[in-house]
Amino acid sequence: MKSGTLELIGISRRFGQTIALDNLNLTIGAGELVALLGPSGCGKTTALRIVAGLESSDAGVVKLKDRDVTNLSAHLRNMGMVFQSYSLFPNLSAVENVEFGLKMRKVEKGNRRKQALELLELVGLTTQSKRFPHQLSGGQQQRVALARALAIQPEVLLLDEPLSALDAQVRTNLREEIRRLQLSLGTTTLFVTHDQEEAMAISDRVGVMSNGHLEQIDTPDVLYNNPASTFVANFVGTMNHIPAEQQGDLVSIFGKSIRVKNPNGISGSVSVLVRPESIEVSRAAGSGNAKVITRSFLGASSQIICQTPEGAVIQALMPSNGSGDLHPGEDVALSVMLSEVLVAHV
Amino acid sequence: MKKSLSIALPSTLAIAALFIFLPFGSSAEFSFRSYSPEGKLMHSFAPYQWILQQPEFMSHLLLSFKLSLIAVAFTAILVVPSVAWLHLKAQSFRSIIEVVTILPLVIPVVALSIGVQAAFPDWLQSTEYELPLMYVILSLPFTFRILDNGLQAIPLKTISEASRGLGANWPKTIIFVIAPVMRSAVAGAFFLTFALSLGEFTLTSLLHWDTFPTWVTSVSQQNIIGAIALSVFSLTVAFVVLLLVGLFSSQTKKRTEVAE
Ligand SMILES: Nc1ncnc2c1ncn2[C@@H]1O[C@H](COP(=O)(O)OP(=O)(O)OP(=O)(O)O)[C@@H](O)[C@H]1O
Ligand SMILES: [Mg+2]
Repeated sequence: MKSGTLELIGISRRFGQTIALDNLNLTIGAGELVALLGPSGCGKTTALRIVAGLESSDAGVVKLKDRDVTNLSAHLRNMGMVFQSYSLFPNLSAVENVEFGLKMRKVEKGNRRKQALELLELVGLTTQSKRFPHQLSGGQQQRVALARALAIQPEVLLLDEPLSALDAQVRTNLREEIRRLQLSLGTTTLFVTHDQEEAMAISDRVGVMSNGHLEQIDTPDVLYNNPASTFVANFVGTMNHIPAEQQGDLVSIFGKSIRVKNPNGISGSVSVLVRPESIEVSRAAGSGNAKVITRSFLGASSQIICQTPEGAVIQALMPSNGSGDLHPGEDVALSVMLSEVLVAHV
Repeated sequence: MKKSLSIALPSTLAIAALFIFLPFGSSAEFSFRSYSPEGKLMHSFAPYQWILQQPEFMSHLLLSFKLSLIAVAFTAILVVPSVAWLHLKAQSFRSIIEVVTILPLVIPVVALSIGVQAAFPDWLQSTEYELPLMYVILSLPFTFRILDNGLQAIPLKTISEASRGLGANWPKTIIFVIAPVMRSAVAGAFFLTFALSLGEFTLTSLLHWDTFPTWVTSVSQQNIIGAIALSVFSLTVAFVVLLLVGLFSSQTKKRTEVAE
């Protein structure tokens, strides 16, 4: 395969007073799909644009297959890019758009038309090949943009929130399609998004960014089950914040002492971070520590929302067949099924 | 609502048509008038023949054409790239520039002509080639808006970045991406500059240059019918040019319109 390893080493970039990137380090293996996830303004787009050569960096090195490309012009980098906003050339038809990169590479006309049509077939747009961008739906336009980026057989594919302008159904379909194509072509891919579900669904690894640097980068499973910081824990998946008292390395929650994963040596009021599926709800007429507010049936599992006498609202996720008798108003006993928890200091 | 619109539209159009064609028709009729030796009114091509007999007709017309074409060239070299650059690299300055480009409409032509002329080097002030540069400035309120509106609809920055990402260097990006998408806006800007320059009278006469419009004015003092014939002639030329530009841009559109 043509794809290679992409390395970002100590990349920094400021815009006036704003620090967009602060010593960002990231390595993407050949054929790997890494998503950059983070809140708005954390520097995701800036990182991607620096890799593409569309933005300069103040410090740091970008390496592609061990070659330093930091100062290489964008048009010499051979990276395919799909933008957040529609970016097709409005004066060219779908197939001409896909051909553009090949034309710049002086591929002979018949040959490049053939390749472009093959790519359009790959993204399911054979019958729309002669249409102009304004005659295509948003999803179709982004498919053409994807085909156009893939046509140059890029060493790296860069996707900057390519799905954010599309509606939910199209988003889900297209993200699966991107993953399928990426796997079959084996293209090293950097995928920027602020949608954590999207990132978790299709990536080999997800990097969570905040304020211009990586908080944690790991597989979706590790990120979800073993977040390295409260920032990551909050950003990925749903999280309960349960008020509790910390004493040394232990925190007391629902009458049980649990070890604190990030002690900091502070004692006092904290929020314990617990995922809904780590909370067990059982009926306890008269002796419970919370009351059921609602139960929502979601299929295989059900969401139960409870409230403690102190007023804390807690979300739990349980198998539906074990929770049918949890009616609103019911007295319940909550417990945390973890041996170690993350706390946030309040 | 719909009904009142269906009446309003045709009547507006009718009034507009009257407004344009009544004076034009009357002028046209007037421009064919001549008088027999007995003083009887007849219609003939005599006034138009008179035009062609004027030794200065061709030279003035050609001069105005030449100056107008130079003004178009300056628009192409100075204004078009500037507006494109504004959209690509300096979006934040757009609103300031938008205000600045109105100035030629606000500042009285007397002040403008003297002020702008003072900024030119002496060798330029002494030739009629200072006029095209002034015409470019005078047409700026219109050309800027045509180009700016044309680009507003196109994400120029994103598509030129896409182009570079696909392997096109800057010159190729300009030729294959930026130029084609700006084509119809540029055609409009060219046409406006040309038409405005061809008909510009105030500034030209203030600076004591003699172009087609100033010549027509001076001729009208000795032969009023001939002067009207000249106006009808130049209006017709302008109309034909307009029609050609219209055809040209609708053809561009047709090409973009083709479905599978
Ligand atoms: N050209 C620029 N000029 C000035 N500031 C900029 C520029 N580009 C980015 N920034 C700033 O740098 C920071 C990072 O921006 P960036 O676009 O990388 O964020 P992002 O993570 O992509 O956000 P989003 O999810 O909203 O797209 C922001 O504070 C932004 O305002
Ligand atoms: Mg962004």
